[in-house]
Amino acid sequence: MNTLPFVDSATIESELQRLWQETAETSASGEAVTRALTLNLIARATDPAMAERISAVARDLVASHPNRTLLAICRPEETPPRIEAWVQANCLLSAPGVPQVCGEQISIDARGPVTAQIASLILALLAPDLPVVLWLPGPAPFDDPLLPRLLGVIDRLIIDSRDLTDPARDLKRMAVFDRDPGTPVGASRRVALSDLGWAALTPWRELTAQFFDTRPLLPHLRRLDQVEIGYVPAGERLNPVPGLLITGWLAACLDWTPLEDAVSIEGATLRLHLRRPAVGVGPRAIRLVTIIITPVGGATPGLASLRLRALDGVTADFHVQRTDDQGHVLTSAEVAGHPPVRRLTRCVEPSLAELVAAELRLLSRDAMFSAALQRAAIFAARLSYLEEPAGR
Amino acid sequence: MSDGVATSLENPLRAGLRLWRTPEPCIMVIFGASGDLTSRKLVPALYNLARERRLPGGFSVVGFARRDWDDAAFRQILLEAVNANSRTRPVEQALWASFAEGIFYHRASFDDPAGYARLAERLAAIDAARDTGGNRVFYLATPPEAYPEIIARLGDHGLNRSPGDGWTRIIIEKPFGRDLESARDLNRQVLAVFDERQVYRIDHYLGKETVQNLLVFRFANGIFEPIWNRRYVDHVQITVAESLGVEDRGGYYDRAGALRDMIQNHLTQLLTLTAMEPPVAYDADAVRDEKVKVLRAIRPIAPAEAERFTVRGQYGPGSVSGRLMRGYREERGVAPDSQTETYVALKLFVENWRWAGVPFYLRSGKALPRRVSEIAIQFRSVPTLLFADTPVNEIEPNVLAIRIQPDEGITLKFSSKVPGQAQIRPVTMDFRYGTSFGVASPEAYERLLLDCMLGDSTLFTRRDEVEASWALLTPILEGWAAGPPQNFPNYEAGAWGPAAADAFIARDGRAWRRL
Repeated sequence: MNTLPFVDSATIESELQRLWQETAETSASGEAVTRALTLNLIARATDPAMAERISAVARDLVASHPNRTLLAICRPEETPPRIEAWVQANCLLSAPGVPQVCGEQISIDARGPVTAQIASLILALLAPDLPVVLWLPGPAPFDDPLLPRLLGVIDRLIIDSRDLTDPARDLKRMAVFDRDPGTPVGASRRVALSDLGWAALTPWRELTAQFFDTRPLLPHLRRLDQVEIGYVPAGERLNPVPGLLITGWLAACLDWTPLEDAVSIEGATLRLHLRRPAVGVGPRAIRLVTIIITPVGGATPGLASLRLRALDGVTADFHVQRTDDQGHVLTSAEVAGHPPVRRLTRCVEPSLAELVAAELRLLSRDAMFSAALQRAAIFAARLSYLEEPAGR
Repeated sequence: MSDGVATSLENPLRAGLRLWRTPEPCIMVIFGASGDLTSRKLVPALYNLARERRLPGGFSVVGFARRDWDDAAFRQILLEAVNANSRTRPVEQALWASFAEGIFYHRASFDDPAGYARLAERLAAIDAARDTGGNRVFYLATPPEAYPEIIARLGDHGLNRSPGDGWTRIIIEKPFGRDLESARDLNRQVLAVFDERQVYRIDHYLGKETVQNLLVFRFANGIFEPIWNRRYVDHVQITVAESLGVEDRGGYYDRAGALRDMIQNHLTQLLTLTAMEPPVAYDADAVRDEKVKVLRAIRPIAPAEAERFTVRGQYGPGSVSGRLMRGYREERGVAPDSQTETYVALKLFVENWRWAGVPFYLRSGKALPRRVSEIAIQFRSVPTLLFADTPVNEIEPNVLAIRIQPDEGITLKFSSKVPGQAQIRPVTMDFRYGTSFGVASPEAYERLLLDCMLGDSTLFTRRDEVEASWALLTPILEGWAAGPPQNFPNYEAGAWGPAAADAFIARDGRAWRRL
């Protein structure tokens, strides 16, 4: 890995070519090295620690999505102004006799005002005719100056709602972007939005959906009265976004609609009231679902428990809860007239690389995510109204 | 709903991407629960499905066998089996404890009516305790001689239909018959008790990712289908080579042989998937209709022609991968003058518009140098050699090889100029499952068990398919039986089959691929 003396796209490209030639000649195992690219991944870091985390993910991604990673380390506040770049191959350790598969990474470290030039350098370095994904980790992805510059070429924007500092504001911005990314006129495609926070909810959605693959239990899904969501906050910050997204998902699947002003905050607990279609009591009857989102203790941030209950009439209680920090969850279904069914299964919190890989697997927009996000943004907007100080 | 059709009631939480469907809770009754298949494949597959959240709560297993075990002993034996055979090891204690709560042992012999009556009571009790809703899968993992007895007894005791609105399905392991007549007999016996839609004849080859990918590869890519025919394809070679001998299956194998054990099922499946026309839909009947059409288009081989279109071999002592190996006739359970083939090669023609005149060479054997399965499509050579000044006499034809095991993937061989020299070299473009998709491929049995529980029989063999395949191969067996005894053994363990096999393909001006 050499830092290049002069940074322009042609120098970087020739350095890459030299790298591959050397790799082919000096392959340690004597086996062929296969350079494979299935996409361009542009990732922006704001400091060296974040850059290292991204590089680690890029290395892991070679297994499932060999790619050209363009890592942009943007530090506009730092001096002296300078721009550096280096290239490296990201290879998968392979067994003897098996060709080694490698992706490649171009890292560009820009400080001071030249940071503004980084987008143009990236545009010149994209591997042609492959999908382009932009990953903006951190709390304010929509304020990043790279986003408008690259919007015309990217297919997907990846952010992480778990990093958001102002969920009410940022969920709304996510929803706006998802509805209309503002892709320039003439761009060939509409940018899809991916949220690693949503991807982390997939196992929870899966476990919840499983209860209702059982035909006799399916009708209870339409008569839920209460949803209790417990989450472990990351650090000091309360971020109910996973709970809001799960609520948005349930609301989208089950036609629940928010009631005006039916939101309350008690300490750290949120309560939302939604209207659900009535079952068996006439079409005009109002039925309410109460959603309770509460932070709980625990070592692993993320969802800790999700409980769906029907309390009126035949009681039904469907519960998924973490039992330890080793990735085990207990699921239980207790429905009047049925024997209780419990099972312990595995639900390890996915790593960052696994979450990114899951998003890269998608080739189109995730319509369910959009539906859940749009609803979550409405709930979040109600919360922000409550949070505003009195008298304003 | 007892006909085995998947429910049409939609779970709204399943809408959208990413989420797999899970089957309804059910009880899987394994006949032959003390056998090898149960501990090596079935229960490890079920454990992994449970571990990966693919099975619902309440899912239960009932082992049916004669041994004097109880639930606790059976659970312990299966725990050890999963620890030894699962692709994820060691077993996670907490997960196992939860999974094992649903494992039960039912001691009875296959021919004892009282055993089935007690089984019915036991299943009802499990339904009540674990909310399995009367859904059952019966898995016949016994020697095939026991199939008729078990099937008839299940019918006698009404176990072929579920109580309430549950479903009942039956999975039948290979071998399904030993010739056309016995396969027809078995089909008659099965269908006297179950409807065809309840019956899942399993061939684990169809559960392998690459085998399924064959259809995706052919029908989801625009560039291959136009050249997938007699105009561009010279011939097709399908190889399933095993490096092991018969191990402890000598008694069974000596009555079967390679044609029955491998060609009738695995290689025929690979052949039909390679040669079939695009189905009108990716569903069980549309796919299987096309496979049956291929089998019906294959030019029959009359008994008198058997020797001309086939080569048989049997391994003698030798060494495989540096290890000495006994000859086949020295294996336990094998007759010292056995005439059973452990190697077979055959040439088939699919006589339809797509394939007329293109030979399909199939070969399979035991005690071969390495374990490898692949389908190779060899394309026609270029018409003239344009590069006469190069130090080559001919340019190697393009070959598209689809590897099924050990490392699943697809390779395309083409010619390329060596930089700076006037030389042409074959190079390969490689696609490997292991490197292109980071996820580990699930075991074939995991996929198939789940498909059966979900009511999807696309990857299982239909009645007419199994009979069409036996109709093709039975005359060969008859021709061999009528001919003089073979001079067995005729290849050394660790060789690529008998010399006659090389001569067999060389007569057509072709050669087996070096694998």
